Formats: sequence, structure tokens, C-alpha cells
Amino acid sequence: MATANQISDETAVAEHATADLVVFVTAMPAEKFKGVLDNLGAAFPAVNMIVATQNELPADAPRSLRIDLMPQSNAFWMLQPADFIRAAQCGLEHEAKAILILGPGADSLSTLALRSLADAVLTAPIDLVVPHYSLAPHTGLINSAILYPLTRAVFASSVRFPLPIDLGMTPRMAERLTATAQRISANNQGEAILWPVNEAIAAGFRIDEVDAGTRAVPQPSDAEINSVFALITGSLFADIEAKAALWQRPRRAPLTHRTAPEVAFSNGTADVARMVAAFRLATANLQDIWPLVLPPNSLLMLKRCSVLEPAEFRLPDNLWARIVYDFLIAYRLRTINRGHLLGALIPLYLAWVAGYINTVASGTPAERQIETVAAAFEADKPYLVARWRWPDRFNS
Amino acid sequence: MQNLVTNSVQQAIQNPPGSPIYANNVTIWNHMSDALHQSLYRVLTLLIAVLPGILAFFVALVIFAVAGVVISWILRRSLTWAKFDLRIARKSGTDWTPSTSPTEIIARVSFWACVLLGLIIGVSAFDTSYATGTALPITLLPYFTHAVGAALLLVAGVLIARFLARSVLISAVNAQLQYARFLSLGVKWLVLVLTAAMVLDHLEVGGNVVELAFGILFGGIVLTLALAVGLGSRELVSRSLENHVKPSGERAPVPEEMASTVRSIRHF
Repeated sequence: MATANQISDETAVAEHATADLVVFVTAMPAEKFKGVLDNLGAAFPAVNMIVATQNELPADAPRSLRIDLMPQSNAFWMLQPADFIRAAQCGLEHEAKAILILGPGADSLSTLALRSLADAVLTAPIDLVVPHYSLAPHTGLINSAILYPLTRAVFASSVRFPLPIDLGMTPRMAERLTATAQRISANNQGEAILWPVNEAIAAGFRIDEVDAGTRAVPQPSDAEINSVFALITGSLFADIEAKAALWQRPRRAPLTHRTAPEVAFSNGTADVARMVAAFRLATANLQDIWPLVLPPNSLLMLKRCSVLEPAEFRLPDNLWARIVYDFLIAYRLRTINRGHLLGALIPLYLAWVAGYINTVASGTPAERQIETVAAAFEADKPYLVARWRWPDRFNS
Repeated sequence: MQNLVTNSVQQAIQNPPGSPIYANNVTIWNHMSDALHQSLYRVLTLLIAVLPGILAFFVALVIFAVAGVVISWILRRSLTWAKFDLRIARKSGTDWTPSTSPTEIIARVSFWACVLLGLIIGVSAFDTSYATGTALPITLLPYFTHAVGAALLLVAGVLIARFLARSVLISAVNAQLQYARFLSLGVKWLVLVLTAAMVLDHLEVGGNVVELAFGILFGGIVLTLALAVGLGSRELVSRSLENHVKPSGERAPVPEEMASTVRSIRHF
């Protein structure tokens, strides 16, 4: 696998050289890769480490690093199943004790964050460690609205970013993820998403979260929300459906001990009017589709929300939780075509974002608001379990 | 001449207008009665000839429907036992998303396949018995088969129309087009009109009138939609064209408020 032809003797690595830590860096632009290498050199000066990468080695790469060059591939905006497979193969080949995967834009990760990720796996009995980024309140909104609250309520996980861009893991966790990734890849699912946190919970492995500070979050090349939203939310719904037997057992989420600082909120209120308008348009036009998914109570509350002025717009947390659960149930029951279903959820998500921006702009800390939403999801979990088991009860 | 008139008057007196005219001692009523009897005889003969075929049709249909029920039940039980749905879900992932489970689909397909087989065998039996009565100038069987095909076309057309209408409605709402519902209705009626034309053509009803009416209706709907979209989204189109035509250096400056908004909201 290793190809050392293009690099100098100092940076070359033997095919079967061992290392305590293997860092897999996904494909990214050359200048960003150079930044990652510099940070790695500074973060792990005395660690027996090998950097595996799909990038071309820059001419001025630090000579102290041992590099394992892998076949190049195109850069993608998030981790793909193939990345997990390659990282695990490389880690097992070099008999690593810990494997780090650094996603696109990892040059913005601090050396402290890199050390924390590696130390958590090397020094503690942790199988999977994921970073807790300090993002601006207006960033990662799909995560704040759906991914985090839903994962926390369903899988009893306190991980704030259940779809991490960087992570650290033990070889056994890597093997588990490889098996799942190979299954996904074998099915030719081009843009499939792997949920490492959910896999770790399903396997009964220990998970931890480390503060990673700020990070530049890579954005999809297609700025259109429709495709990204359907891809991510649909993937999470499918994963929840696949692990239904696991999460219906009663669990309690461990207490969180986060210290991530609040990032200042920059004015995003100009978008609220547009998002509320989109929600109103959907309220007027999707009256044939929403009733197939949502109960009359929710529809009535949505109608009341639709007459609110943009500046006063709020979507109640319990209503949002109920909406997501109802869409999850409809996804499972295939009430309507799944593409249509996720498309019909987008205006409701925009309504949540509008309400969230208004709430945060009014002085409520963003993290507190997100925790309130997550608590609403947790409180309403019995509804999800009941409807998952007896879906027809809603119709009677 | 006078004698001829006298004879006619006498004949008229002997045969009042209400009574039938005699010809060779047989009244017209006898002719009508004969014609009716012959017609009744022909129809009854045809029915007697076709009746076994109709009975065979229904018997074949019922037998194969029952067989379909049994086969689908066996399939459903065995596939459930083999956890077929789970295996399919693992293999196909989320790409294939039917509205019912694969096991249910296979069971239903097997049932309807049996019913279809029964239908074909029944129609074949009917055809055999019908051949004996082909003296009658009716075209029942070909029309029946055309009707089945037309019904299938109609069902498929309605399903496709509904699916496309929903797709267009949701996409248009998410694109924030104010005329989303109108657009969706337009697409739905386009497909329905197309389906109706195909069904009528399949039934060979209407002939050229259907083609002409379809052309006018279809063209009319397309023109209406084009006008509606064109007039309704002038700004959208002009903005899009500007973005494509103008080189990057000549683009109009983005308003400060919009620029800050674009920077501020990130969904991922």
C-alpha cells in the first residue's frame, strides 16, 4: 500500500513499520495539507507517528514526519465510507494503538485539539473520541436542529457533533467501522454516510468528546440546502431505522461536562423574513402532504405559527420535536415517497432556524437554546417509541 | 278508367285502413313474427355457444385467484421466516424505498400474477367458445382485451401524474415559487390528458377527433404553463442569465445586508 518513491528518505516509511499513532488525512488542497502537516509536527514531536494521506506531498513538508502515501482521490466535503476503510487498513498495517482521521479543512484544528484527540485514545480506555467544536451559533444548523437532539434522544448519546469531521479511535473501533463501511460501499451507495457515534453505541464501545475549539467547517460544493438536507437527514433516519432494536431499550444520556466557550452571534436576522416566507408558502401549498405525516394538533400549531410576524416568529421546541418524530415514523412506514417526505420537512426546518435565530438574537445563549431543544426531544421520546411500535394508534 | 276507379273504391271499402294488407294469404305480422323468432333463435344459439366459455372464464379466474391467495400466503410466511426484508434493507441501503415492504410486494405480485394468468386462460377459453358463434357481427373479445389494456394505462397514468405532481409541488415550494400549486396542477393535468388520449386511442374511440383534441389541450396547457412560469419568474430568470453571461469581474455588487446574510447562515 505504501508508496515511498516520490518522497525523500527522511519522510519515507517502510511498508510494515510500526507506529503508536496513525493519522489519516483525507484529500484536500495542497496548501491546507501543508498546514495539517505543520500542525501535526508541532503537536506530536515525540510520538511514534505515521501520517497516511491521499494528498501529494508538498516539497517543504516537515522532514521529521513519516508519511505513507496512498492512491490519490478527489476531495469531498465530509468523511466518506472509503476514508474509514483506508484509515483502518493503514492503522492495522502499522499496528497502531490509535488512529486519527482528519477531515477536509483540518488545518484549522489547533495543535491542542489534535493532542487531545490522540491522548484520549492512547491514554484512556476510550474506543471513539470525537471533537466538540466551538462553532458560531449560525453554523451547523442541521446538526443543532436535528442531528444532535435526535441522536441524543434516540441513542442516549451526549455527543454534540454526531457526524464528526475528525475523530480518533482504537483499532477495534476501526475494524467495526470498516465492516460497516464495506457493507455500504458494496452496495454502491455513492454518497452514503457513516455514523461513527451510532456504531460505537451499537457495539457497546466507550465514547468520549474533547473540546476542539474553533474549526473551519467544510461546506458542500452544492450550496443548495435541498440535496444536503435530504442526504444527511435521510441517512440518519435510515440509521435509526436499522438500529431500532437497540434504541428502544430504556437508556439515559450521560451528563455532559462541556466547557466550550460561546461564540459571538453575528447578525443573521435578515434571513429570518425569507425563511418565514418559505414556511408560509409551504403552509399554503403543502396542505395535501403534511396531513399525511403530521397529526391535526401539530397542523393547527403550525397554522398559528404561520401568522406570526418574522420578528416574533418562534417554533415551539416541543412542536419541533414532535414534527421530527412524526417525519421519522413516516420515513419508517414509507407513508409517502422518502424523497418527497424529506423535501416536505425542509420548510419546517427553515421555520425552526428562523425561530432559533430570533431566540438567540433576543439574548438567549445559543448553546442553552440547543440544549432546551434536545431536552424537548428527550421528553417526547416515549411518543416516538409508542408510535414506532403501534403506528396506527395515531389514525384511530 | 271509370271501371278501375270503381274497383279501387270497392276494394277500399272491403279493406278498411286499420287492417293489414294481404299478399299471398300471409300478413306482414307473420313476417315480423318470423323475423323476431329467427333473431331470438340466433341470439339464444350464440348464448348457448358462448355460455360454457363465460363459465370457463369465471371458473378459471376463481381457481387462479384462490391459488394466488394460497401462494402469496406461503410466500409471505416463508419470506418473513427468512427475514427477507432485513436482508434486502442491508443490501440495498436507502436508495430503494418502496411504500411497502419487499415481502409484501412479492406476495402481492404473486397474487396478481396468478389472477392475470387466470384471466388469460379464461379469456382463451372464452375465445374458443366464441369462435363457434362468429357469425354475429360483434367484436366483443378484441374490445374486451383493449379495455383491459386501457384500464392498465389509466391506472399507470394516474399514479405517474400523482407522483410527478407531488415532486413538482415540493420542489417548487422549496424553490419558493409562489405559483407552486399551479405548476403542480399543470403537470398533473398534462400527464392526465396524455393518459386520457392514450386510453382513448387504445380503445379506438374517437379517431382523429381525439388526436386533434389532445394536441390542442396539450399545447394549451404547455403554453399556459410556459407563460405563467415565464411571467412569474422574470426576475429569477434575468438574475440567472446575468450570472451566467456576465464575467465574474463585472457582476453587480451584492448588497451589504445580503452579503452578511450569506456569510452568517450555514446549515452544515
